[in-house]
Amino acid sequence: MSEVPRNREAEAAEIASLLERIQAGDREAFMTVIRLYQQKVFVMAYSILRDREDALDAVQETFLKLYQKAGLYKPGNSFQGWLLQMAKNVSIDSYRKNRKKRREWETTTPLDDIPVAVEDRAGDSAHSDLRIAFSRSVETLAERQRMVFVMRHYNELPFNEISAAMRISVGTAKSLHFKAVQNLRKRLSPVLGIQP
Amino acid sequence: MSEHNDKCPDCRAEADAYEKLVRETDAVKAEIRRAAATVDWDALPALIADRAAAELPKPAARPRAWLAPFRLTPVLAGAAAGLVVGAVVMYFALRTPGPRPDPGVGYFASGEFLDRAELEQARRNTVDYLEKSQYMLLEMLDSSEQGPVVPPAIRAERARDLVQKKRYLNAQLERYQMAKAKAICDQIELLFRELAQVSDELPAAELGRLRGFVEERQLLLKINLVKKELQSGV
Repeated sequence: MSEVPRNREAEAAEIASLLERIQAGDREAFMTVIRLYQQKVFVMAYSILRDREDALDAVQETFLKLYQKAGLYKPGNSFQGWLLQMAKNVSIDSYRKNRKKRREWETTTPLDDIPVAVEDRAGDSAHSDLRIAFSRSVETLAERQRMVFVMRHYNELPFNEISAAMRISVGTAKSLHFKAVQNLRKRLSPVLGIQP
Repeated sequence: MSEHNDKCPDCRAEADAYEKLVRETDAVKAEIRRAAATVDWDALPALIADRAAAELPKPAARPRAWLAPFRLTPVLAGAAAGLVVGAVVMYFALRTPGPRPDPGVGYFASGEFLDRAELEQARRNTVDYLEKSQYMLLEMLDSSEQGPVVPPAIRAERARDLVQKKRYLNAQLERYQMAKAKAICDQIELLFRELAQVSDELPAAELGRLRGFVEERQLLLKINLVKKELQSGV
């Protein structure tokens, strides 16, 4: 047996043991799991929410959910995939909720109270416009394409981890990634100054 | 590849586009890293653990291993629920016999049907009466030649039974279809009334008179003819 699978098995056994302890109410085990995965969950949440505070809230919600559902984890499946799936769902819920609130705020707040100069664009160049366009383009990708793109590039996950997180085959994950890149290229072609 | 890109403007443009994409991706990644760098990762686990302890009940336990084979996927659970509901519906549908008549209405049949049923019943009862009468007369006639076949008391009892039966039959014999049968039954009845009165052995003279009555009126022959008519339903 090679080194990598042995490490994975050991990791899975360790996670299973930690989750059992969490079910028994072991605070230390819970904190250990948080320490191991909090940054990965944050990256996932931030890539969807694009706001530090919202992302931190999503991290907390994700781990609170994990605390309640620790007994539902099926040993043998990727724990990281399962957790990131949970983080994705929490973040999307939060995004929808925040978008609604933001719209309500924008429609009910007097015009004078809305800060017009949200960003200092004085020194902004075409580069900043590209950044905004890029972010918007990622947001408008189809959900599965966006998730694969985010996990691949922001979370830096290998395709096998992405496939486990999204419960799809590695081939499908690669195909979705290819489509995501193609779509981004197409949508950004005016900003990038290339033929669509 | 770089040599090819130097020569091919399309591929160079394409490569530039992807390079810009990668650059933007890296920029967003860097933005995420910057945001992550400002978070106090050491304090966060304790904060979340405190919230969990304060706000949430104890985590849900994993379903017992021995129950695992019985845990259904949503599709199977839906199919099982459908089967149960279907079985219940079929049970109630098949258990209930068709529409029951209203107890206040009672049994309904057409007048024609009832009339035919009554006539048929009258025919059967009359045929039965005639057959029994025939046996009775034959026994009486045999007695006259070879001595009493049936004890006189039993004969009188049978005669009374037949008189009784005729009384019951009278209402059915009133129908016009039963006119012939009524005529012969009335004649037989007269005879049986006399026999019912006599519980002792009949004297030879009396027997002779009765025998003469039967033969004179050809009662046995008429009984046979009427019986055949009734049995054939004419």
